[in-house]
Amino acid sequence: MNLVQKFKDKQALSKLKSRDKEAFIKVYDDNVKDIHRFVYFKIGGREEANDLTSMIFLKAWNHIQNKTLEDAKTLRALLYKIARNAIVDYYRETGNKVTASLDDENNRIEVVDEAENPQERLDRAANLELIKSKLPLLKEEYREIIIMKFINDLSLEEIAEISEKSRGNVRVLIHRALNALRELVEPEIRQGNKQDDNL
Amino acid sequence: MTNSELINKLNNLKSINPDQKWLESNRELLLSQVSNSGAENLAVWKVILIDVSSALKSVARPAYALGVFILFLLTGSLFSGQLLAKTKPNDSLYIARIISEKVKLNTTFNPVERNKMEVRFASEHAQDISAVLADPAFNNEANQDQVARLNNSFNEEVKTVKEKINHLNAASNPTSKNPSKNSKNDEVIIADSTKDGQGIQIAEDPTLTTIDSIAPDTITAAPPLIAATATLTIPAELNLLATSADLTATSTETETEKLEPTETDKILDEAKQLFDSKDYLKASDKLKEVDEIIK
Repeated sequence: MNLVQKFKDKQALSKLKSRDKEAFIKVYDDNVKDIHRFVYFKIGGREEANDLTSMIFLKAWNHIQNKTLEDAKTLRALLYKIARNAIVDYYRETGNKVTASLDDENNRIEVVDEAENPQERLDRAANLELIKSKLPLLKEEYREIIIMKFINDLSLEEIAEISEKSRGNVRVLIHRALNALRELVEPEIRQGNKQDDNL
Repeated sequence: MTNSELINKLNNLKSINPDQKWLESNRELLLSQVSNSGAENLAVWKVILIDVSSALKSVARPAYALGVFILFLLTGSLFSGQLLAKTKPNDSLYIARIISEKVKLNTTFNPVERNKMEVRFASEHAQDISAVLADPAFNNEANQDQVARLNNSFNEEVKTVKEKINHLNAASNPTSKNPSKNSKNDEVIIADSTKDGQGIQIAEDPTLTTIDSIAPDTITAAPPLIAATATLTIPAELNLLATSADLTATSTETETEKLEPTETDKILDEAKQLFDSKDYLKASDKLKEVDEIIK
């Protein structure tokens, strides 16, 4: 982490500790999308992800006021750790790991990119749906690491800190997770290609 | 499908975001909840204080590491010389000490100072060798090769001390360009080639006394520069080549240090005798006397 990022992180933590409203709003604005995405891909439901995300930020606020901040080097790592714990509590309460699919029929996510032509848009949407449908089938550990690394762009060091594993372990996990996801996705793609050829 | 293709597809999932309306409403909700728990806008002075302390904390560790590194370099350079000086001939770092001494010699341009330094180094080496050989833990059957090597080294170092002292004596010869600096009791001996080879011309400054000739039988065997007679008084600085016991020296102070080569030779010979008779500690003490003389 470079010095500027370090400074910003320490500044944010100190301001939050001093109960600064502005700092809290800034932290929320900077991290809410990532945390929401993390929770959404872990548990599968949009509404549940919304509720959990709110709870995570409130818990983070209380944690910073009451604790000595020794359990996380950075604010982002702290938020993810609280998010993981919140998800575990959610699993315990609801008795299930993840909904069958991330395909939320009532709230289908539409991503519109004006620069894309219709065909490209269709292809991208198909890929998105495929990955989304296969992610829940992965082992919890693998899914989590794929979300953190490739969807939310966390660094190896951050993932190691959040998951309390060594960097080496994290690298191995990433490799295995990708292989596992590929094994799930490839047959679908091959089948899709065959159907296109038949057409 | 390659890993990079799969990763590209995964990257596309970054575009999945919560609803903007939900984001805004949730923001307001959270803000009201934290306000109820005591959140407030910080005063300007507190913001500045936090900024300064955060900046210090951010650079503290790298600055601290840099400071420790610089301190380490400085203390290392300050104390390395002292540490190296303490190494003994059987230590692995001894070679570093030798190299360090050679560097010091090469960077000393004054020949007198360089010779003194060489005498001091050689004497210290000889003392260290004696100290090492005095240790029964080292000087035993198992280390006979090293003991023999150290014995030879001791002889070499003593020889070096003698040679360098001779050089120092030669350098301090007051037959210099400015004889007027000599005291009036000094006599300057000049070899005059116009003479018939049987004698030398002796002159005293400022009142130089010239002897036209000296009877051959009054000249004792000596190198051509000096003719020794019972009545001739020669300054101690010129006593290098004298072989006759009739010569008496008057000691005079000159700008260069007074050195007693015979005395140092005696000391060195005694030290060698003590060393050869395996009285290493006394040999070392004897060598320290040489240090005192050349100081």
